[in-house]
Amino acid sequence: MIVVYSTDQEKFKKLSGFAQTLSDEVIGVAPFRDNHVKKLIVAKTEDLAVETISEQRPSLVLLSEGKREVTVGARVAARLNAPFSSSCNSLKVEGGKVVVERLGFGGVVKATVELSTPAVVVIQPPDSESREFETEIHEYEGKGKMEILNTKRQTSTVNLQSAKVIVSVGRGIGGKENVKYAEELAQVLNAALAGSRPVTAELKWLPEDRQVGLSGTKVRPKVYIAVGISGQPQHLAGMKDSGLVIAVNKDKNAPIVENADYTVIADAIEFCKAITEALKK
Amino acid sequence: MTLNILVAFKIVPDETLIKISGDKVDLNVPVKISTYDKNAIEEGLELREKYGGKVIGISVGVNDRKTIREALAMGLDEVISITPKTYADALATAKLISEEAKGYDLLIFGESSTDGGDSAVGPMVGEILGYPVITYVRRVEIQDGFLVAERNLTPEVEEVKAKLPCVISVTGEANTPRIPTLKQIMESGKKKVVAKEVEIASSSRLVNLTPYFVPRKKVIIEGKLEEQVQKVVEILRGNL
Repeated sequence: MIVVYSTDQEKFKKLSGFAQTLSDEVIGVAPFRDNHVKKLIVAKTEDLAVETISEQRPSLVLLSEGKREVTVGARVAARLNAPFSSSCNSLKVEGGKVVVERLGFGGVVKATVELSTPAVVVIQPPDSESREFETEIHEYEGKGKMEILNTKRQTSTVNLQSAKVIVSVGRGIGGKENVKYAEELAQVLNAALAGSRPVTAELKWLPEDRQVGLSGTKVRPKVYIAVGISGQPQHLAGMKDSGLVIAVNKDKNAPIVENADYTVIADAIEFCKAITEALKK
Repeated sequence: MTLNILVAFKIVPDETLIKISGDKVDLNVPVKISTYDKNAIEEGLELREKYGGKVIGISVGVNDRKTIREALAMGLDEVISITPKTYADALATAKLISEEAKGYDLLIFGESSTDGGDSAVGPMVGEILGYPVITYVRRVEIQDGFLVAERNLTPEVEEVKAKLPCVISVTGEANTPRIPTLKQIMESGKKKVVAKEVEIASSSRLVNLTPYFVPRKKVIIEGKLEEQVQKVVEILRGNL
């Protein structure tokens, strides 16, 4: 039996569909109601999710990518005395073992890991069809070990995972006041605006949900334009699977050059201004 | 109150120096304290400065003297270094740390390591010990035996409270790790390191490691700005 857990309704649906390709017996655990599984247990907090998932005694727990999911998954694994793997992008069952593929070392290395069952896996599932059911819903009540004083949902400013074109900004843009030149380029291309970790999490030139990279969102647009991004492994880990990669950088020796189809050796701001004008025509 | 803190840090190959040749990955490169584990150490030190107490470090895996000394030079009081004889996965590592983790008020981990990066060991240790688990913490304070923390769960920010002892993992934005002074580096040699070699079984196995790269054209476009722009516009038109 497989338990699926996600705190995101869209991801929950996708994950349930994937789980149903592996087993007929799938139980969902989520903080919301949903009808893409036969049986759903609503658990509002991480503590409650850990309790109820562990109680099901599953042979496999699948969780979607996300910070809460990783936390819940690792805790469940400890409860079940089961191996755990996160950030996986493929999974198959072979001779009673679960074999996953994931990236490691900042995305430089692909690792194949074999887990004995029961196993707990955080995965970005392949696209699978998800059916709707007459779902049997249970509410899991209880008290956790931590008290939640308040939760602020920062308005999400972008959906990078579904963007077809992304213009991404790095430190090389020079300052917060210059981000607008990349933004204007993004607008004419109908692209999403993203940024590297320094620009988002550290310097706050852009909101944090726009971070592409190992600790941000992993994206795979048709076209990825990296403006003033040197190409640290942590950043590359988040954009390697993009279709076409175009970089704009002053430095011919920046690591991004090795990871781009085309690198324009130019000043980031001047280039953004000029190409935005050209594309408007 | 004073705090007894245990900080876990992992010694990992420097991922920026990993060499790829053909289908081989060469991990035999200089090691370092895993990036966010430095934030864990720093958080422990800042809490000690604020509330008093001790900060002990624990590291499972590579037993590199120089790197352990760097952690001591940052300000840890002592380090427990555990070297498993065979591969220890996250759960095995968590079990080893749990055995050493009793009696502390607070256990601090980094949000993720830069090698495997499962983000699992901290939450697993918390679960094994039955402590509250608070991950992705960017701000923390202690109030009358309770820990109050702000978690960054992009796009959510959550403020939580839990009774000590507990386990936290800290993010890179929690603080700026200090760089030890020459004097601290000199003195770190006198600090205690408890080294142990242990046997532990893992229920997962690394089957193989291969380089991961997507072949790229690597074309450099130089010259006049107008010409560069013209070229990129053509490329974009052909791909959108």
